[in-house]
Amino acid sequence: MAGGSVATGAEGSSFLKWTATLGLLIVVAVPCLFIVVQAIFPEFGSGSFAAPFSLFFKTLADPDLFGLAGNTLILGVGTVVCAAILAVPIAALRALFRVPGALIWDALLLVPFMIPPYIAALGWIMTLQPRGYLEQVAGFNLAPLLFSVYGIMLIMGLNTFSVVYFVLSRTFETIGARYSDVGRVFGAGQWKSFWRITFPLAMPGLAASLLLVFAMSIEEYGTPAALGRRIGFEVLVTGIENRISEWPIDLPGAATLSLVLVSMALAAFTLQRWLLTRRDYRIVSGKPQASDKRRLGVWALPVVALFAFLSFLATGLPILAILATALTRTISGGLTPSNFGLDNFRELLGSGSDGLVALGNSLALGVTTALLAGLLGAITAYSVVKGRGRFRIVLDALSITPNSLPGVVVAVGIILAWNQPWLPVTPYNTPFILLLAYICILLPQPVRYATASLHQLGDNLEAAARVSGSGPLRAFVRIVLPLILPSMVTAMILVFAVASRELVASLLVAPIGFQTIAVYIWQQFDQGSAGLGMAMAFCALVITTLIPLVLVSLMRWISKGTVAGLN
Amino acid sequence: MTTNPISMSGKHALSVRSLSMSYGTERVLNEINVDLRAGQVLGLLGPSGCGKTTLLRLISGLLLPDEGEIEIAGEKVAAPAVGIALPPEKRGLGMVFQDYALWPHMSVARNVAFPLEMKRLGAVERKERVVKALDRVGLAAMAERRPSDLSGGQQQRVAIARAIVAEPPLVLFDEPLSNLDRELRETMVEEIADLVGELNLSAVYVTHDQSEALTLANHVAVMRAGRIEQLATPDDLVNQPKSPAVADFLRLGCLLPAVKDSDGWTVKGTNLRLPAAPFDGAEAEVLLPERALSPNGSGTEKLQAEVVRTQMHSAGQALSLRVSGTDHLIRILTSTPVRSGELLELSFLPEDLRWFPVAAQAT
Ligand SMILES: Nc1ncnc2c1ncn2[C@@H]1O[C@H](COP(=O)(O)OP(=O)(O)OP(=O)(O)O)[C@@H](O)[C@H]1O
Ligand SMILES: [Mg+2]
Repeated sequence: MAGGSVATGAEGSSFLKWTATLGLLIVVAVPCLFIVVQAIFPEFGSGSFAAPFSLFFKTLADPDLFGLAGNTLILGVGTVVCAAILAVPIAALRALFRVPGALIWDALLLVPFMIPPYIAALGWIMTLQPRGYLEQVAGFNLAPLLFSVYGIMLIMGLNTFSVVYFVLSRTFETIGARYSDVGRVFGAGQWKSFWRITFPLAMPGLAASLLLVFAMSIEEYGTPAALGRRIGFEVLVTGIENRISEWPIDLPGAATLSLVLVSMALAAFTLQRWLLTRRDYRIVSGKPQASDKRRLGVWALPVVALFAFLSFLATGLPILAILATALTRTISGGLTPSNFGLDNFRELLGSGSDGLVALGNSLALGVTTALLAGLLGAITAYSVVKGRGRFRIVLDALSITPNSLPGVVVAVGIILAWNQPWLPVTPYNTPFILLLAYICILLPQPVRYATASLHQLGDNLEAAARVSGSGPLRAFVRIVLPLILPSMVTAMILVFAVASRELVASLLVAPIGFQTIAVYIWQQFDQGSAGLGMAMAFCALVITTLIPLVLVSLMRWISKGTVAGLN
Repeated sequence: MTTNPISMSGKHALSVRSLSMSYGTERVLNEINVDLRAGQVLGLLGPSGCGKTTLLRLISGLLLPDEGEIEIAGEKVAAPAVGIALPPEKRGLGMVFQDYALWPHMSVARNVAFPLEMKRLGAVERKERVVKALDRVGLAAMAERRPSDLSGGQQQRVAIARAIVAEPPLVLFDEPLSNLDRELRETMVEEIADLVGELNLSAVYVTHDQSEALTLANHVAVMRAGRIEQLATPDDLVNQPKSPAVADFLRLGCLLPAVKDSDGWTVKGTNLRLPAAPFDGAEAEVLLPERALSPNGSGTEKLQAEVVRTQMHSAGQALSLRVSGTDHLIRILTSTPVRSGELLELSFLPEDLRWFPVAAQAT
């Protein structure tokens, strides 16, 4: 769809334009604004603009902040290094050689995308802690490694390296087929052509995916909170959470730390976008072509063992640990046959139990978030694509801002914005506040899907409706929306899967006594009922990944052939 | 435009006054003036990028002009000077797009019914008119199909049915046949011509195919670089092209540069003689129309030419000839077989030549 500076007679509906603007202002701009205002005016909470910047610089100069920011950077960089070490070799092997069972390993390596990191971290704790499953099976434990800075990096690396693996193996394959073969024609050996041609050409893709890992790891709450707190390793995210949830509550401090964290995330995000859009050294994309992959020969067995080992660490082990904990009656009873049973599930799913309520809450919130974020995302993307001039830039910027807003920051902004004593009505202390938080965190997904889908639609489909006598709003509802619906449903399923088990914002803004899946798991683990927590984790995994998977494939199947060019 | 019908807004399906439009600093349309009487078809013809689609989108309201005025059926729909800019849906048009632009999520019948729905017609009447429109394009049997299950030609017929179903005062065609292959194009041109005649439609038909324009249109505007080079009936266009550019674009024949010396006119750079020109001046381009040339004919003027290439056509043999002593190529059709390398004598009448004076260049 054309946008630009020319007066198009067929402007998009101004009703949609204002709906998108209003929605983005409430969901995105207000929390951001309040963080900035609070950081500058420490007395803002009591309605005063006194002493601007007094605490801002104090917090910035606080050695605490240096510690937190430094730890965050160390954790981010360390995770990136771990992810790179784990991903680069297998990506190269996958791209250049015929790895037996390649598709199976690909499928297994997709699973870490579906396990929320905090659940995986809890699984690792159950496995490696003293008298954990590893000790029961092998006679030793790795608690000193797990509860160390390196351990946190390693666990987070295992959670994120599949991002790098998929980007890189695809890039290697495409480049290999297109350029490296050319190098070989000119006489470079296979290894030489890999190092001299494929690897340098893949650098932007590698860098971009590592930056994504960096951003993910500095925004992550669950893993550093579960592992780092025991050894006093605090990062910005946990520091912010402390200042909000523990007495004495320090809102200006939380706001300032949030700004520091957002700057880091924004820097990573900007650098990544720049890498992805740079023209001169463009990231190679496109379909990998069938190329002549080498046989592994005698190396087949060790390579398969490597793939199997990594897939087990990233996917099998956390899930097995979750299952083992959920299926044993007591933790102390260990992995003995007599200790196995469905007691935890029975208690979790018994009628009227807290667990059922939490499940219901999360599912309801997940579905509502998906619908609202999907609608707002579609309207926003449409208004951006049809929009012109400054308006378009503002809307576009607002819609991608949440990309660099970690969940904890969104929570801080929402608390600051909606917990003001002078507000006559406020969604604070109602489940709606969670809705606001989830929509803000997840809005970029539907916007991205809708934008891509809108760019696929021919300009003329909407033009034809306008010429046929339909006003702009009707053309959107009757023509545009049905045509982008298939990809919007995919986006909404994604939103549902993430929203229904979101952790940190739920911990911070959920009304008192209101439980969601993540809050329930977290609290059960804290209170020592790990079995109950893991039973919930298992149910959550099944519900939030299996249901969406089934829905997506069902949709693919139904829409096959009826909606041309989509899907 | 001297060949315009006299402006009488009331009877005009379309009238465009001094219309200009720019993309940024690039002026894409420049001072366009067109009038179209009700029941007539205007062909817009021109090379790629000359602004045909832009003009059509301005008429439809999908774009807004910088300057000028557009009137449709006597109503001003765009006039930036007085702040009039009706959106497309208020102009009551029908339009056929190059890429069909059928909505893939609706059946053929729902596609065609859409303009009637927008006019809030009752279900019964709607159904009746949809059936009638689909009948007209021969697709009544396919009403319940999805557009994606139709062939390209059928899809374009559906698009035509959608454009005419609401009986708009003006129908716009944007290269409707350019995505179809040649045979289908030829039959569909005739179908559209019949349809336009039967329904007495007023239409603007954009194309870069001259035979389409000459077949369908009552008036053809040849456009070049954002201007209308010539607006005339197909007959006048072929017999009296206004400029070498028009003649060249319509492929009317061979354009030769000519100069006058003391002995008369010759083809520039050769000593090939030409008959006297009907005007004063020292330099000109002269058009040797393809239709005026015949091998071994009875024309008074003669020309030697060597056969460069021959090509069999259903209507005869197409020859490419090089005028002896020059690099200029001529194309003609002949029924008598000839071979490459042969020398032919072509003859023509002096009055068949078209002269385009070239202003003396300042040196
Ligand atoms: N959105 C746009 N932005 C800038 N320039 C444009 C835009 N659309 C068209 N143009 C320019 O305007 C000029 C006219 O374009 P137009 O599409 O009207 O040509 P056309 O005569 O329809 O050509 P074709 O026969 O190829 O369809 C071209 O030079 C084109 O490059
Ligand atoms: Mg065009």
